[in-house]
Amino acid sequence: MRCTWQLRRWPAAAVQGLCLLASAPALFGQEAADFFRQNCISCHTIGGGRLTGPDLKGVSQRAERDWLVRFLVNPQAMIDRGDAYSQKLLQESRGVVMPQISGMNPARAEALVDLIDAESKLEKSQFIGVQITDRPFTAAEVETGRQIFRGERSLKNNGPACLSCHTARNLGGLSGGQLGPDLTRAFERMESRKTLAAWLGAPATPTMAPVFKKHPIDSEEILPIIAFLENQAADGGEDLSAGKLTFLLVGLGGAGLMLVVFDLAWRSRFRSVRKQLVLSSTGRGEE
Amino acid sequence: MNSASTYLDHFFFLALPYVAFFTFFFVTIERYRNRKFTYSSLSSQFLENQQHFWGLVPFHYGILVVITGHIVAFLVPREVLWWNSKPLRLYILESTALVFAILAAVGLVAAMIRRVSVSKLRRVTSPVDWLLFALLLLQILLGIEVSIRYPWGSSWFATSLTPYLWSVAWLSPDLSYVSPLPWHVKFHIINAYLLILLFPFTRLVHILVIPNPYLWRKPQVVRWYRPPMGA
Repeated sequence: MRCTWQLRRWPAAAVQGLCLLASAPALFGQEAADFFRQNCISCHTIGGGRLTGPDLKGVSQRAERDWLVRFLVNPQAMIDRGDAYSQKLLQESRGVVMPQISGMNPARAEALVDLIDAESKLEKSQFIGVQITDRPFTAAEVETGRQIFRGERSLKNNGPACLSCHTARNLGGLSGGQLGPDLTRAFERMESRKTLAAWLGAPATPTMAPVFKKHPIDSEEILPIIAFLENQAADGGEDLSAGKLTFLLVGLGGAGLMLVVFDLAWRSRFRSVRKQLVLSSTGRGEE
Repeated sequence: MNSASTYLDHFFFLALPYVAFFTFFFVTIERYRNRKFTYSSLSSQFLENQQHFWGLVPFHYGILVVITGHIVAFLVPREVLWWNSKPLRLYILESTALVFAILAAVGLVAAMIRRVSVSKLRRVTSPVDWLLFALLLLQILLGIEVSIRYPWGSSWFATSLTPYLWSVAWLSPDLSYVSPLPWHVKFHIINAYLLILLFPFTRLVHILVIPNPYLWRKPQVVRWYRPPMGA
């Protein structure tokens, strides 16, 4: 760490303050914007309206700067402490708690507040959010979304197929993965195309964020995925296929079959130790 | 993420891998230089040859296929994702892996039953052997459990675990990939590190003895000769 040498000379708190001051300038500008893009736009816009979280335009006029920094660093702690404004935000976002962002610290939070202030003054912020059509989706768009979900149509930036970790209704075969949630009703949970589009633009769960940070979903791919998920949600329900059970039975059946194959392949194997040989080698048998 | 889980993640996924790999390389080389004739799996086929087959063959073919799958996903993740881009191919790959994982479990359980039920074998089975059996069984059962509970592992291994493992290999561990994974998966990784750590202290060193024709040679009875007393 750059400031480690100072630990020998100054109280730890002072050193920490100096380190933050020294690193803060680097977080302004592009770095803060990149951080916002990677971690915030799935739930927030600046001037584009509410998504899962509130529109952040002019947020400094609604809350004290110090409060904003503390909330950004650890939202859950503020809620647990019973902070009134945090409770109000929680209620407005229907109980969705803002996650603690990896890499967030007071210096970065300060830089983000500065960024939001600067973007709020603009007529049109770069973080106004995705503008998405409200016309009904075509069958072709739904099918394209289904192919992207199943992996048959590769994502342009080499991201993994949704099927790797998620399932949905009527996917066929052994169905989808289950590291993440069933997405049959994802559209219903996200409430609107705009919210879902923002989410897909920068998936914010701790599992997805590091993967899609390097392989973001292309804006042209977002529309058909939304079409597919909207179509899934229209009929309700969830994935009730017996994919897991079938998978287990295939595994057990295949293993049983392989044991038979092994037995046949080695059918001429020795089935017992040659006792006479043992006895003679230990001098206890007949020569 | 609370501080306790952060601390545990740092211990298990940042410190433990380096402790495990350093111990692996250091003790493996030291043992080979100073006690090279202990590089053996100490065959017990001569002591019991009926149940031996049902432990030896399913376990070794099972574990070799499964470990090869993990290594391939580590070395060529993009190719694995390409293969999995057709759902049918994904299902074939996952089902094959599950079949061989179950074979490894069946073989290991058979080997353990054999070691317990034959008195001659109990006498030649050391505490380290039992520890190894326990860790291997835990590892295989956890792997099977993860593959069924959280499909499809071949894809998410390539996207989440491969970058973490390479970050460890390049000496700049990135825990963001591994921290959010379910504890079953984390336990599987931690146990893998423990097996690597214990590797040079156990009979597992036989893996490193080259040439290693166990896979294709005909079964052979291993016998020993001891001169009569006083000869």
